[in-house]
Amino acid sequence: MNDAGPEPERDQERELEALLELSQRGRAKLERLHEVLTTPGHFGTGATPATVVYRENKLRLLRLLDETGQPRAGRPPVLFVPAPVSRYFILDLLPGRSFAGYVAAAGFDVYIADFGTPGREDRFADLVYYVEGLVRRCVRTVSALTDHAAINVVGYCLGGTLSLLYSALHPETVRRLVLLTTTVDGDVEGGIPWIAHQMGLAGEDYDNPRLVPAAEVKSWFEMLAPGSNSTLGRVSDLWDRLDDDPDRLREVRTMASWVDDVVPAPGRLLAELYRKLGPGANGLLKGTATVGETPVDLAAVAMPVLSVSAEKDTIAPAAGVDAVRSIVPHAEILRLPGGHVGIVAGRSAATLWKRTVEFLGPTGGSREA
Amino acid sequence: MADDKTNNDPPLIERWLAEQQQWQRTFLTYMDSMVKNDDFLVHLGNALRGSLLAGKPYPTQPPPAASAPDTPSEDKLDQILFALRQLEGQVHDLRLTLDELKGDKKRAAKKPPPPKPKEPQ
Repeated sequence: MNDAGPEPERDQERELEALLELSQRGRAKLERLHEVLTTPGHFGTGATPATVVYRENKLRLLRLLDETGQPRAGRPPVLFVPAPVSRYFILDLLPGRSFAGYVAAAGFDVYIADFGTPGREDRFADLVYYVEGLVRRCVRTVSALTDHAAINVVGYCLGGTLSLLYSALHPETVRRLVLLTTTVDGDVEGGIPWIAHQMGLAGEDYDNPRLVPAAEVKSWFEMLAPGSNSTLGRVSDLWDRLDDDPDRLREVRTMASWVDDVVPAPGRLLAELYRKLGPGANGLLKGTATVGETPVDLAAVAMPVLSVSAEKDTIAPAAGVDAVRSIVPHAEILRLPGGHVGIVAGRSAATLWKRTVEFLGPTGGSREA
Repeated sequence: MADDKTNNDPPLIERWLAEQQQWQRTFLTYMDSMVKNDDFLVHLGNALRGSLLAGKPYPTQPPPAASAPDTPSEDKLDQILFALRQLEGQVHDLRLTLDELKGDKKRAAKKPPPPKPKEPQ
């Protein structure tokens, strides 16, 4: 006997049940979003306590502190060099999710160069300013503070390019070099210079540079990540993510804050990079790279080198990163599953962190300088 | 089991009414945050662009003057300002070099003096 009423009524009831469930799910997502948006997050600063040991223009050189608020004096020094077109805190993202914090906890005296946000006058900054200026003075400062003539350098993305150029010009000051997702083959397909080349852009004007707005820098990254360059796609991605629990969402928010919080870029630096290292010129691979007028002899990079690429990297394609083996033959090449950001600060980033600590440790490098 | 659950649940119409009240509460919570918290509007605006960027609005194109100066005199001022920045760096370099020299001297002073050569008898 059917006591639930005639069939059409039951169908209607089922539809209303389904609609109610949909409504409840949508509301739960909005409540989760509200909770995440109103919780003070950890963003815009590093996760590990640090002190500023050097300032120049917008740059701050940070020295990480231990649990008691003291510098880890007496430990081997490591300098992290992030990309100057993004914010440094990707290397020190969250407590427990900090690359720099992990290296510090493993027994190193860790420093991070925070390049800050360039102002309009900084549009004149070029490779000499960054490599022979900011990076060199950071290394000198760390050397002076720690009494080490040669220190460990870890460069990320464009920060890796600066670190590689610096290491070639001043090899006696670098003990070991780690290059993270650092493109050395400017002709490889994919990546920002290649996209610019394909679009027929001549790059920025070296002689009359502008400060490239953050929104424009952001649009290049979006072009390289399919699906993320439309508002609809981004909203849809976020809506799907709202099923995650709030703690996970807060982690996602910290990462998203880094991804979306790009800084303006000095036009002269971009023009010089494009002209010297980009498609066609490919100065690192062809051995024609210069910093200012000074030729860069990559044969001088004799210290142990670890180069790490990410399989799914759309910003620095793995092939263009791994090409370092042709210019620094003794470099150890490590390709990890994941993307440009994920291998450094994602949930599986521990693989990179552990290998880096091993490499920087007493027996890590295959060759000593 | 499913039938038991259905039988224990309030009637569908009541659940819809409760859901409607929940929506009103959610809506009021959002309104309350919008009124009381200036940052919330920025963050909500970012979320409507599909971004969870915190602490600042999503990057948009600034006015042209923010990236390049309008007049030659402003351009000159920027060049002078940047030249001063470069000088600032060179002064730091000088200071670091002086510190290194001082350190070298201290180290040399700590070293025991080399033994005097024996005088010929």
